[in-house]
Amino acid sequence: MTSKKKSVSVVPLGDVPEVDLQVIADHIIGCFKLTTQILPPMDPPEYALDERRLQYNAAIIIEMFESIHFSDHDKVIAVLNQDLFIPIFTHVFGEARQGGKCGLVSLYRLAKNPDGSTPPKSTIHERAAKVALHELGHLLDLLHCEHKKCLMHFSGGIDEVDEMSLDLCEYCSIYLQDKLR
Amino acid sequence: MDRKMSVMIVDDEAIVRESLFYWFKKDGHVVETASSGFEALEKLEKYPFQLLFVDIKMPGMDGIELLEKVKTEYTDTIVIIITAYGSIESAVKAMRIGATDYLLKPFKPDQLSLVMERISVQKRLVSQYNYLKGHLEKITRFDNIIGQSPEMEKVFSLIPEVAQSDASILLAGETGTGKELVAKAIHAESPRSHLPFIAINCGAMPESLLESELFGHQKGVFTGATRARKGFLEVVSGGTLFLDEIGEISPKMQINLLRVLEEKKITSIGSREPVTVDFRLISATRRDLNKEVAEGTFREDFFYRINVIMIEIPPLRKRKEDIPLLAEHFLKKYCQETTKYVDHVTRDAMELLRHYDWPGNVRELENAIERAVVLSKSRTLSVDDLSFIRPPDKPFSKTLSLREMEKAYIQQILEENSWNVTQSAKILEINRVTLHKMMKRYHLERPEG
Repeated sequence: MTSKKKSVSVVPLGDVPEVDLQVIADHIIGCFKLTTQILPPMDPPEYALDERRLQYNAAIIIEMFESIHFSDHDKVIAVLNQDLFIPIFTHVFGEARQGGKCGLVSLYRLAKNPDGSTPPKSTIHERAAKVALHELGHLLDLLHCEHKKCLMHFSGGIDEVDEMSLDLCEYCSIYLQDKLR
Repeated sequence: MDRKMSVMIVDDEAIVRESLFYWFKKDGHVVETASSGFEALEKLEKYPFQLLFVDIKMPGMDGIELLEKVKTEYTDTIVIIITAYGSIESAVKAMRIGATDYLLKPFKPDQLSLVMERISVQKRLVSQYNYLKGHLEKITRFDNIIGQSPEMEKVFSLIPEVAQSDASILLAGETGTGKELVAKAIHAESPRSHLPFIAINCGAMPESLLESELFGHQKGVFTGATRARKGFLEVVSGGTLFLDEIGEISPKMQINLLRVLEEKKITSIGSREPVTVDFRLISATRRDLNKEVAEGTFREDFFYRINVIMIEIPPLRKRKEDIPLLAEHFLKKYCQETTKYVDHVTRDAMELLRHYDWPGNVRELENAIERAVVLSKSRTLSVDDLSFIRPPDKPFSKTLSLREMEKAYIQQILEENSWNVTQSAKILEINRVTLHKMMKRYHLERPEG
């Protein structure tokens, strides 16, 4: 018996540049070898806006997405331009639950360097791809990894996102292959 | 090293619990949540969480109160305080009580990973410290001989003194009192410590085998002697020979050993060539050899040879103040061996251990703790876990006066009821005041500890 190959949809929430979506989709195909499709945009998640923090609550968006049925797609990566948070953290670049269905990627903080300068477009695209692949890794049941260069290493700051590579370490690769079998 | 930990998040806000729960899950930790301090303590009772994230402001029991309880009951548990209401005073208070760190909600994601990194380093250092401490304890002189009672203090003070001489030592004590451990400690303290320590239980083997083991034999002297074998008296060469249950050896063997002690030479079975031997002899017995010498069942000359210095190891019932210390020691030992996490003995269970007479002494106590740890289903050893311990009935002597009889019976009832006066008075069918008066009259007082 052969298992059906997993497929991923990339969904923009609100106004997200086409090029960012394409970069994310291409990296999912290239790095994880999964069928990927960019879906039409959905409304920005105003329901998740926290008036006090002026940020969007990632947990609320994820819960909403978990209830939506995306036919033909096993995993969903939603991309938005808004600043995301989870209640304990000041912000997150992305969010996904272990083995869940939907992951989020926020482009909001990726366009600035820690010193406040603006990085080149290519760097922003690379960061977006890393965050998307990292969250997809969680959806595929991968855990945080101790290896600083591994894609699954936890990044608390943008410098750590830059430090990690687009690749999984040896152990996480084997684990992913096992999960995708 | 495994950096994964068991974590409990204690916060009355579901959304905070959930956020941290998913974050720790993704980091590969075992995670549990509790919505109150009470729930956290209940869960801690059942499972040894290594790390607690505790919100400072909670209804009922607040984070500081929970921290105090955790640090009293579960000293190894790491507590991180989290709060949305940051104040220097509460942070200082939490750190003073024993919190490892303090986080102000919401915190930057890298702050949490930094805290986890620090905890991981701390865990590694504690683990290394415990390993080295255990290793050091193993190689130090009084390995595993535990006690702070005056009787044991006397033994401890004798060990280094007698270790320096080469005089034969007789260790007298009931079975299970730790005679071999004392013998090992004397050897470890002696100038022969870098040479072998060989222990032989004379009571465990027939005479012919014991002779062969001690003196060795030549090839072909008896069936099965397919090759020559050196005896332990020769193998020990320069070290210490420990002969346990020396009172069990036959008169013939007593003569043979006496000769060895006098001449420092042995001749192996089937040989005519004597070999010079050099060893320090430590013997042990649970029998009253003085009495046996008087009765003529043990050779007097041999007795005086082996009994140049006598050390009496007290039975456990005569040093009951050492029981809690020993119980804690064995608890730690068997938790490590069985990888079970039992770190407490309840007060009632400790009372039961203290009041039992331990006819099998330290060995029996060790076995009881091992059995209880293996069978325990929680992290606390209770009276139920020790239900196999049955204090023997205390029959009254026929020669007691009525007054003595009354005193002994009241004492027995009080002991059986952990010195609970109300409960004891109920059983004796007298009121509490009367019982108090009788206790005063008979000078009956609850033992300290």
